[in-house]
Amino acid sequence: MGEGGRLSMSEADLPRRTRRPEIGRRVWHFLSFGGPGTAAYACFVLAPILISLGYSLTNYNPFRGDTDFVGLANYRVLLTDEEFLTSLKVTTILTAIVVIVPNALGLAVAVLLDRRGWVFNALRTVFFVPVVLSSVVVSVIWTRLLDNDGLINQALRGLGVDEPPGWLSDPDYALYSLGGILSWQMLGFCVVIYLAGLQHVPQELIEAASIDGAGPFRRFWRITWPLLAPALTINTVILLISAFKIFDHVQIITRGGPGTGTTATIAYNVLQTGFIANRQGFASAMAIIMLIIIAAASAIVLKLLQRREVDL
Amino acid sequence: MRRGLFTLGMVVLLAAPTLAACEVGESTAPAGKKEITFLVFETPNLTPQYWDAAIKRVTDKHPEISVKKLVSPDQDRTTYAKQLLTSGQFPDVMIAVSPAGFAEGGNLYAWTPDELKDFEFPTNGAIKGKVYQLPANTQTIPVVYYNKALFTKAGITGEPKTYAELQQAAAKLKAAGITPFVTAGVHDSIGPLWAGILGTELYAKNPNWMHDRRAGKVKFCDAEFKAGAAKLADLAKQGYLDAKDVSKDYAAGQQAFLDGKGAMYAMGNWLAGELDKPDSKLEVGQFTWPSDDGKLVVPAFTGGGLLVSAKAKNLDAARTFALGFQLDKGNLDNSAKADGLFPAIKGYTPPTDVGPDYKLGYDLYAKGVAEKAVVPAFGFEAGDDGMLPGVTAKWDSSAVDLVTGKKTPDQVCAFLDAEWAKAAA
Repeated sequence: MGEGGRLSMSEADLPRRTRRPEIGRRVWHFLSFGGPGTAAYACFVLAPILISLGYSLTNYNPFRGDTDFVGLANYRVLLTDEEFLTSLKVTTILTAIVVIVPNALGLAVAVLLDRRGWVFNALRTVFFVPVVLSSVVVSVIWTRLLDNDGLINQALRGLGVDEPPGWLSDPDYALYSLGGILSWQMLGFCVVIYLAGLQHVPQELIEAASIDGAGPFRRFWRITWPLLAPALTINTVILLISAFKIFDHVQIITRGGPGTGTTATIAYNVLQTGFIANRQGFASAMAIIMLIIIAAASAIVLKLLQRREVDL
Repeated sequence: MRRGLFTLGMVVLLAAPTLAACEVGESTAPAGKKEITFLVFETPNLTPQYWDAAIKRVTDKHPEISVKKLVSPDQDRTTYAKQLLTSGQFPDVMIAVSPAGFAEGGNLYAWTPDELKDFEFPTNGAIKGKVYQLPANTQTIPVVYYNKALFTKAGITGEPKTYAELQQAAAKLKAAGITPFVTAGVHDSIGPLWAGILGTELYAKNPNWMHDRRAGKVKFCDAEFKAGAAKLADLAKQGYLDAKDVSKDYAAGQQAFLDGKGAMYAMGNWLAGELDKPDSKLEVGQFTWPSDDGKLVVPAFTGGGLLVSAKAKNLDAARTFALGFQLDKGNLDNSAKADGLFPAIKGYTPPTDVGPDYKLGYDLYAKGVAEKAVVPAFGFEAGDDGMLPGVTAKWDSSAVDLVTGKKTPDQVCAFLDAEWAKAAA
């Protein structure tokens, strides 16, 4: 721009002459860098969601020839379907356990492990191991541990408990056992995120608070905890999403039982309805509702937790 | 900072399954051979070696056929086959997959009467008059296997002949600190026990019950079925079944019986394959599930054979393989020895070197045939003889509900009628 805001002829012409190549270059950059990812996302995420949405408006059954458009009938039925409402309740309880327990324990463990030395490094690895284990491996291990004759009940019998709980066979315990297993597996993830958050807490603030006479609890509550808000946000949102779509542990450990629907999550119910009862239109409606709930819950939690985040 | 943490979180989350994952390679057919895929399932009796040997026996006779074995991730091979179908990977040949649903959708090849001429019950398991699954073998479901040593320890001198005697025996076992019945929480474990009860309570009185249910003439809430549900619930209430066993899978349930953790095990006759293994030291007796009046009732299912995809790329090779597999004398003998099956092939007689437990089970079945006491095995039927798709899984979970006391017989019956209505909609 020229002096006094007036453009000289040559300066004014320059952007006009270069605009088209500039736009072309930007489009080319977008296509070359963002194109493959966008195409993959569209093919493997958006398209299946849209196809499922389409199926959810039909009575599609792959084993029957005729498929009719039923509008929102599947959604209306779901609102009163006992099986679906039970699975919604089960999923909500599991999600609450998985969001709260690993978050709380993960924070405690991270604070304990936020020190230097090979022992603490080794302990960090120990806590992180369950995260990298396949859910199948975790499920098999815990099924054996929690079996009526498993190690835990044998230990309880050794301690004089005549009738140890049926961790996976008693309908009153099974859901909480499952929640415990999921929490155990996700604990290491929370620890890593909180440790990373703790390392961003400026030591000078802690030292200043100490000089001012603040004790350990006060220092944690007034300085560390507010600065860990971003870590809490990440952990909560990721745990929420992971827990809400949990399927594999249920399939292997309890198969939705003991009995009917005791631990059947929405994702498990989707598979049962779609692939065992063959009602894939109805199952698609369940999946869409699950998607909406996850998206809404994540957005709300994200918004709420971001409010308490502070930037240094 | 938040962005950094989020990136770290995503990296950790994505890396975890990646580290745990493994890749499965694909094989290709040797030049000049017609490749077919074959879905099997593995159990303690049906080992990978068993399947490999059985396949080889057929491919040795038909060297133009190359077989790619697919193994179901668990015993529910029917659900796995559905997943494969909907993902466009339907196997060319399958064994012991329920044809219901697949057949109506035009996915299975219908065997011709000429192809079925060697089978004893060529129309068993038909769907709308067409047979899609080779009716290859008969299984008695259940036989009550009992641990002789534990019976003796509890002071039981004879096999129960009536349901009242069975209850008396169970009471004696419980009083002696022995769990009367071993079970587990999956279809093949708890199903046979309930099939035994429903065989005597329901099918013995009305062998066409399931057809009547399909026609809407009877319901689960009718007296016969409800009585069967009440009997199962009562066995658990009396403490004759350990409700904690429902967390066990099939293999763990079987192992519990073999380890002497319970006296009786209502199981399909395939258990004989395990009992007759050379290293088995358990002394086991067998009797059929007793009815109230002591009249013999033998619940049995004939079917369970191979099915062929109607859309198999090499349909001729698939049909040739399936028939070759099913009629091969060596395979039949091995299925009798390893899985206790009674091949339902004309002129077939089990080998003379079968084990004593197989022989005892075979004699019980033969007695049932002679006395016209054979009835369908509830929950294990196929085709038009069976429940609507999806209802069998609800019947399984209802059995667990009855055993754990989560539901009453009335609630279970109402639930099953509601699920039937949903499946029929």
